Amino acid sequence: MQPQSHATESAYSSFITQNGDGDHITALRKQMEQLNTIGKRFVAANDRFQVHRALLATLQELYSFSACSILLKGDPFELSIIPRYPLTSAFLQAMIQSIARAASVVDFPGVSAQELAVVADLDAPDDLASPSHEIPSVATNIGDFLNIPLTVESRIIGILSLFDEHEGTFDTDLLQLTTMIADYAAVALENVRLRERQRALWEEAEHERYRLELIISSMTEGLLITNAHGVITSLNSSAQHLFSLAEVDLQQKPHTSLRQLAATTRVTWLLDFAEIVDQALAGNVVMHKELTAGTNSETVPLTLSISAAPLHDANQNITRPIGVVTVLNDITSIKQIEKLKDEFVSIVSHELRTPLTAVKGYTQHLIRRIERRLREARQKQESTSPMVELPESYDLRSLNIIQSETEHLERLVSDLLDLSRVQWGELDLQYSSFYLADVLTERVRLAQVSAEQHAIYLDIHTQDSRIVADQLRVGQVFGNVLDNAIKYSPVESRILIRVHLGEDKKACLDVIDRGPGIPAEHQPYVFDRFYRVDRARTREWGGAGLGLSITRWAVEAHGGEISLSSKGGGGCTFRICLPITGDISSQAAGSGERNSKDGK
Amino acid sequence: MHMPNMSDNSSSAYNEKVVESYLKAIQLIDNRVTPFLGKATTRALVQGASKRVSKEYPFLHFLEKMPYTEVVPAVITEQWSSISPQELSEGLQALLRECFVGLKELTGELIGPPLLDEVTRQLEQMP
Repeated sequence: MQPQSHATESAYSSFITQNGDGDHITALRKQMEQLNTIGKRFVAANDRFQVHRALLATLQELYSFSACSILLKGDPFELSIIPRYPLTSAFLQAMIQSIARAASVVDFPGVSAQELAVVADLDAPDDLASPSHEIPSVATNIGDFLNIPLTVESRIIGILSLFDEHEGTFDTDLLQLTTMIADYAAVALENVRLRERQRALWEEAEHERYRLELIISSMTEGLLITNAHGVITSLNSSAQHLFSLAEVDLQQKPHTSLRQLAATTRVTWLLDFAEIVDQALAGNVVMHKELTAGTNSETVPLTLSISAAPLHDANQNITRPIGVVTVLNDITSIKQIEKLKDEFVSIVSHELRTPLTAVKGYTQHLIRRIERRLREARQKQESTSPMVELPESYDLRSLNIIQSETEHLERLVSDLLDLSRVQWGELDLQYSSFYLADVLTERVRLAQVSAEQHAIYLDIHTQDSRIVADQLRVGQVFGNVLDNAIKYSPVESRILIRVHLGEDKKACLDVIDRGPGIPAEHQPYVFDRFYRVDRARTREWGGAGLGLSITRWAVEAHGGEISLSSKGGGGCTFRICLPITGDISSQAAGSGERNSKDGK
Repeated sequence: MHMPNMSDNSSSAYNEKVVESYLKAIQLIDNRVTPFLGKATTRALVQGASKRVSKEYPFLHFLEKMPYTEVVPAVITEQWSSISPQELSEGLQALLRECFVGLKELTGELIGPPLLDEVTRQLEQMP
């Protein structure tokens, strides 16, 4: 910032218009040297006290006065009084009143003499305390004064005031000279203010950075940041701890990308981690991706849940991220609890299965016995009239209900067992060759019993529906989807089942119902275990929310796909496509769900 | 200053001339003060003066925020159509007086008295 003054400009103009003889050149040089000295004093000032010293030194060279002061705008405003020699309190009070009046006339916001007296800071030069200093003044009144606005870029930032105990000290020449010096002082004070602001901002930023560092280092989650090349640029102590648990030593390979690290350390999960980082670098947000970082020999290996997001620069340049922020959560304890829960479910299911089989068997035996008795009784009744309802009929109805509920319980136990096996990759597929149409016809026949009030249409559009798959599981898949359609379809509505050849040598099954449909926000989750679209009607419709989860697993384990489409108006279409020739390789992937599940 | 009875149109034209004259007077103060106290001082003096007189002359309130250099006489006179020429002259006179009070607070008797004479002469030459 450079000082501006009309006085300076006019003084300079008068110099250059004069004849350039030796005297004028010498005079000009002397004045330039003096200006240079004044300028240097103010430029060298690093704080407002040094500005005060520079001001005092410069003004003292020009004329004699009792004191000067600087009032600066701000919230709160600041007043520094710089006496040249000791002054009486009456004189100081008169000074403050004069400054307050001057502030008022140049539109300072609400400055009163009382307020100024409170904030006034006496910045006396050091030599004022010296015993050799001149005798203190006894003056109580101001003889002469000047109040000069301090201006920076046409903006008044304060007032420079000069006071003397003698009358007639100041004239217009001194006023002009003082205004020139006030310009220097204003720029120097503004520079000090800017420097102080800069320092305050820097300290604030430093404090914020330190606070952020503390937060990051005390996070229980691991935090890892990479640059645009996937090279780890920083990680907190939790992340370091997790890597050390996974036996990855990052200290030995600094400034290495995750992909290079995976290649050199032969730690396989690092490749999956690098893949997640690459996805984030491509601009995608990855949420809760599960990676098994421990060894499979452990009962429950170290499992990490990883979320990653692209990091953009402060200019919000979204075309290319400058790095990736990754949060790592150790979810091994959750997996341990899951494992315990699954083991518990598995044991309970096994324990339930045996009595259920007995209940089912004895119920069937009783049903057959009562049916036989009823037949015999009816035959006797035919000879004697009239026909009456026999007590065994009521027993038969009760036994049928027991059998139906037992079958329902058996299915639930079976689903729980399947789910537990799926979770831990213990469910294998038994491949064989069979006709899809046969399995489907059998399932429709079974479903028809429970769907007496629905019209189920089977529409087979393929000449040859032979496939290689696990017949039991495929039957289970069809049964689950069909049961689902029957459960949610209104009474007397149609359910259409269509078998056709799809792309990539796949046989596809469509189950189309006229039920209430599935809202778009629920669709991504309907294949999740225990997920219910309408929890309020769960009791009405029954089910534990496991069927579709097991169905998805079984379809994907075959290398197939399951999808659903549903529009707002109602109705739902489930499509299941299975490879005709059987995809044995996918069995391994499917059964290893524990290692690839996305953890939703 | 004696104000004759005038019709609305002539009153408006008169007011515009009055405003022009006082703006010129303030401009003269600005020209004379700038070499001594810098170019922002007069603007601040006018703003401070308007704050002090706007209690008595509320129509001058806008000068507290707006620099006098941005005032267009024709526009402002239209806005002041309900103000009588006498009240307008008195208000502007009070504003000018307060500017000189302000100048006195800044520099004592150094530049105020000769400038007041010059401004008074200029205003007397007002048509």
